[in-house]
Amino acid sequence: MKKTKASTVLAIVTALAVLAGCGGGGGSASGTKQQGSGAQGESDQPVAITIMANLHTPEVPSDKIEKLIEEKTNTKLEIQWVPDGTYDEKVNASFATGTLPQVTLLKNAASLINMRDAIRNGQFWEIGPYLQDYPNLSKLKPEVLKNTAVDGKIYAIYREVPLSRQGIIYRKDWADKLGLGAPTTIDEFYEMLKQFKENDPDGNGQNDTIPLTDRNDLVYGAFKTVSSWFGTPNNWGEKDGQLLPEFMFPEYVETMKFFKKLHQEGLINQDFPVTSKTDQQNLLTTGKAGVYIGAMGDVSSLEPKVLEINPDAELDVQNKIDGGPNGFGVWSVPGYGSVTLFPKTAIKTEEELKQVLSFVDQLMSPELANLIYWGIEGEHHTLEDGQVITTEDTKLWDREVKPYQVLQVGGPLTVEGFLEAKHTRPVKAKAEALIVENNDFLIEDPAAALDSKTYNEKGVQLQELIKDATYRFMLGDIDEDGFQAAVDNWLNSGGQQIIDEFNASNEASK
Amino acid sequence: MSETAVSTGMNPDVDVKPPKQDSGRMKRIIKNRAIYMMILPGFLYFLIFKYIPMSGLVIAFQDYQAFLGVMNSPWVGFKHFERLFTEPMFFTILSNTLILFMMNLLFYFPVPIILALMLNEVRREVFKRFIQTMVYIPHFMSWVIIVSISFVMLSMDRGIINELLAMMGFEKINFLMSSDWFRPMYVLQVIWREAGWGTIIYLAAMAAIDPGLYEASRIDGASRFRQIWHITLPSIRSVIVVLLILKIGDVLELGFEHVYLLLNSMNREVAEIFDTYVYTAGLRQGQFSFSTAVGFFKSIIGLIMVMLANWLAKKAGEEGIY
Repeated sequence: MKKTKASTVLAIVTALAVLAGCGGGGGSASGTKQQGSGAQGESDQPVAITIMANLHTPEVPSDKIEKLIEEKTNTKLEIQWVPDGTYDEKVNASFATGTLPQVTLLKNAASLINMRDAIRNGQFWEIGPYLQDYPNLSKLKPEVLKNTAVDGKIYAIYREVPLSRQGIIYRKDWADKLGLGAPTTIDEFYEMLKQFKENDPDGNGQNDTIPLTDRNDLVYGAFKTVSSWFGTPNNWGEKDGQLLPEFMFPEYVETMKFFKKLHQEGLINQDFPVTSKTDQQNLLTTGKAGVYIGAMGDVSSLEPKVLEINPDAELDVQNKIDGGPNGFGVWSVPGYGSVTLFPKTAIKTEEELKQVLSFVDQLMSPELANLIYWGIEGEHHTLEDGQVITTEDTKLWDREVKPYQVLQVGGPLTVEGFLEAKHTRPVKAKAEALIVENNDFLIEDPAAALDSKTYNEKGVQLQELIKDATYRFMLGDIDEDGFQAAVDNWLNSGGQQIIDEFNASNEASK
Repeated sequence: MSETAVSTGMNPDVDVKPPKQDSGRMKRIIKNRAIYMMILPGFLYFLIFKYIPMSGLVIAFQDYQAFLGVMNSPWVGFKHFERLFTEPMFFTILSNTLILFMMNLLFYFPVPIILALMLNEVRREVFKRFIQTMVYIPHFMSWVIIVSISFVMLSMDRGIINELLAMMGFEKINFLMSSDWFRPMYVLQVIWREAGWGTIIYLAAMAAIDPGLYEASRIDGASRFRQIWHITLPSIRSVIVVLLILKIGDVLELGFEHVYLLLNSMNREVAEIFDTYVYTAGLRQGQFSFSTAVGFFKSIIGLIMVMLANWLAKKAGEEGIY
């Protein structure tokens, strides 16, 4: 009896081990990419270049444009596409295992800050001294490059983005029906939301509209933009000659109170702290919600979807909402969107670096810059009076053009002969105009070029404390004292050091 | 256990000549090489994927820098462990992990046993197979899908559950963003996904029970419940104990994906566990040494729990797992 029992147990353990073997072992970075090199000598041999880039579309992109780039630059590209949502994690994991490709994109300023320690440790090529040797790269703006610099040295090339794209997209047909104009103050904005809620703007006889649609993002969602209306500084602000984080300013608390009111009165989707971007946009496109705050340029992708469901709908954009004592303001990014770094693990020699830089330089030539950004003439766009009209086929665009736009180097300000768009949709044209208009009202981040060791080490984790407290305040879980307690916790867990270090860095840079 | 297996096993003459045991063992290995070959893949699997990677744990005691590698990164002793223990979140994370584990043990662990007992009593083979397959299926769905479905159902904005509650005149409940509802939601999802799959081993054990025992008890006039109580359950007791010990070993393996997907700002105080914390600290911020230290600490707790459970099982007269 005992023996059979023992063997049963053994059998089970074995079975479990096998099961565990089948189940475990997911994740982990996919195979190491072979890096190209050694093709220095022969010039007609295509040079192999490895690239890692973030992918903004759900599908794997077609390689049509990739092939054209290869042909024109005499290279053999190997592009590793990583979904945008997990891009930073992938970069960190590849970095840790020494498998970053030769051309490594970082998706935004925050990602670059995370890499600062590694950059300082000499993990990436300092490219500043080389830039002048290249006809196109030398046109990159020194003041923007300075914002990407670490200890004053330049390691990255950048892709331009408009300094501030933030604004409102709203259902103009709903507003018209209720006799509302475009909101220009916070009170008018609130009034619009309230009317959208109460007066049945979609005319279906039911009180079922959600006025404002927001998502789980305090920065690129609605919160930060609204906080700008209230006059909150951008990440860091100066008070009594000292730099302090935005959440220690009363305007930040005002913004939270405003959102708390919206949430209590049902003027915003109740689940916004857990709503994804897709769901947020769906609320607008399906006609359940009427107001969207974010990048105004999104209107070009949102409008066709809205019209598909409701041909009578009409979208409009608006930027200037006046709330703070200093009039309208809007937060801005430090002049660059994504940046590209050149890891020493993948680029062994200076020779090789020059090859890679020469490839990147070619990407910035007018011909390739336009190809990357606008696609192929006749297929993805047509030209009219020298201006680009992009295809109406958004699926084709998303599959063949949009993914490659991340490879853009520089942008309209630095590439001569970069084509301008002619917007067939008036609302898109208006959005672009308002984005330009935003440039006059920017709230800049005074700490963009500053450095703090503690921030590099645990800034992200500490920021979670504030993020949690902000959401909990807006949902009524905690009051002002509770929020203050979170700020105190932040200060005690390293925040005070971050403040001191940023201020020291600020003093040093003056 | 292994010793008894060996001595009652294949080659009794080994025991007769103890001085020549070594060469005897070699001989035995050569003789049974085909059987040893069968172990080889499993042995290699554990060696390559489990034991060799363990050496990576040394970076928990270093300030690991990717470019310096394991060999050249500076040693810092227990610095990262000190940081972990002084982290304000530490006790929250520890207690969250333990509470979720206890709830799992209390509410999830018995479910497959009950389910298996019920399935075992089903007489129509076709029906039994059908039900069995149906309850397995959720196991093959990824957490992403399960959590997404729950999101759609539990949403405050037109989630079907909340609409039903509202229709019946109750207050809507913010399941997704409430610290009170996180744990029940977690455990229910675990049960929904894993209960059916968990029955497999119990059913196999039940199939091995000698039908003669049932016959005899029926002759003695035992009811169905009596049979379950006095025959089925005692027969699978050792299986239950083994699974329980293994489960306890997984104390801190609560399913990173699952918890991470459910985690948000509103329920973090009850939902942050070691795995999610390692992810934020390690991968999102690139603090490899620190997150290794956290993972190491977690594993040590797991080991202690297994040894404790095993010791208790042996005290109670069961086999244990080693």
